[in-house]
Parts: sequence; C-alpha cells; structure tokens
Amino acid sequence: VQAVLDAVAEPRRREILRLVRADELPAGAIAAHFADVSRPTVSQHLRVLVDAGLLVERRAGTRRLYRTRPEGFASVRAFLDEFWGERLAVLKAEVESEEGTRRARGG
Amino acid sequence: VPEVADPIVRTVDIEAAPEAVFAYFVDATRLDRWLTVGATLDPRAGGVCVQHHAAADPERGPFAMQGTFLEVDPPRRVVFTWGFTDPEVGVPPGSTVVEVTLTPTGAGTRVTLLHRDLPAAAADEHAAGWTEMLGRLVRAVEERA
Repeated sequence: VQAVLDAVAEPRRREILRLVRADELPAGAIAAHFADVSRPTVSQHLRVLVDAGLLVERRAGTRRLYRTRPEGFASVRAFLDEFWGERLAVLKAEVESEEGTRRARGG
Repeated sequence: VPEVADPIVRTVDIEAAPEAVFAYFVDATRLDRWLTVGATLDPRAGGVCVQHHAAADPERGPFAMQGTFLEVDPPRRVVFTWGFTDPEVGVPPGSTVVEVTLTPTGAGTRVTLLHRDLPAAAADEHAAGWTEMLGRLVRAVEERA
C-alpha cells in the first residue's frame, strides 16, 4: 500500500496515470506531454509507477508502451476499509471512556 | 456510468448505550474526537454534513467532505452522503453514501458502518482521483497515529 501511496503522491505521476488510463502510450508521447520535465525524469516517474504496480509496461520493437494497471488500485481500496476500521476503534475508545467517566460520577 | 464497487462494511461493539454512541455521529464536538478536525452538522434529512479531515501535507490543509444527511433516526440509524467538491478527488458530493446502523446488544451497542456506491477504483475513470483521496485519508490517519 505504501508504494502505491508514494507513487501517487507526486502530481506528475498522477498526470501520467490520467494520460494512459484510456490509451496505451509510448514513453516518448508521455514525455512530450511534459514540456518542463526532462526525459530521464519522466522515465523515473514511469519506473516508480511500474514498480508500484499501477502501470503495465510492454515492449513493441524498440518502443516501450504504458497503460494503467487497474488491479494496482485494489490495495488502496483495502486501505479505506482499514481507515474506517481504525476510526471506529477510536470511536469505541472515546465513547467507552466517556461512559466510564459518567458512571464513575454516578451519572 | 462509472462501475460501482462492493460496499465497505465494518462493525465495532461499544460498551455504551445506543443514545451515547449516536451522539458521536451527529454532534460536532464528539465527531472531532474520532473522525474530524471540525465539522458543520445539521442532523436531519436534507441537512448539511460537512466534515473536515486532517491532511498531513501542510500545503493542502484540511480537506472538506461535503455531505448531506439522508436519514437521521436516533438512536438507530444515520445515513449521509460522502463526497468532495475538489474535482481532483474524483468522488463528487452526493456520489457515495455512508450508512451507520446502531443495534442494542447485551453489553452495549453494535455499530455497523457501510460505505456504498464507491467508484470501482479498478475500472472507472476516477481511479487517479480516488487514489488521491485515499492517499489523503491515509496521511490523515497516520498523522494522528
């Protein structure tokens, strides 16, 4: 999960995910989209996204093609599940603490 | 139409009466003790349910969940919509629903929280925005851990 969150923390990496969610694109076309970012930096972003499981890389001849890997987001959904679980655990502690105080006061 | 994911369902048993637990969903002071860093709540059907959630990124600040109460039936059930005006999040206001059901048990209350109509992160066009929102949520949780 942390790799996914780290991967999407960078705005340009989120932009890359948007670019290739519908169309598989070659690295060159992705790099061309970012006029202010060097090609090696874009390659680095692509590497992080592939390593996090959010992009699929495919070679076609000399080109490398990228598209979004939807299954990569499953772990993040699991995290929202954890979020609610953790919040409810805090809720339990808070309510029971208040109840304990109330009972101790004889209220 | 974006694909919809299965709901998230969580339960927790609390040693307190349903009335006491219910207040933690509809009273802003109590909501701040477990979920929010400020909230504007008008707990009746159609009333506002704005929840500010902490974000670890100082440039972002708290982010606002712009919801509406759909059902308020103390001390049994509270239902509100869950969404964000920030289009980057990809979960628009009104697009998902959180249903909270309180059931009396021998020792207190069982809380069942169901979050439904979530976009299927696996397939829909909002995958990146959905991930963005979850990233904020996890940072918010970790910040307080």
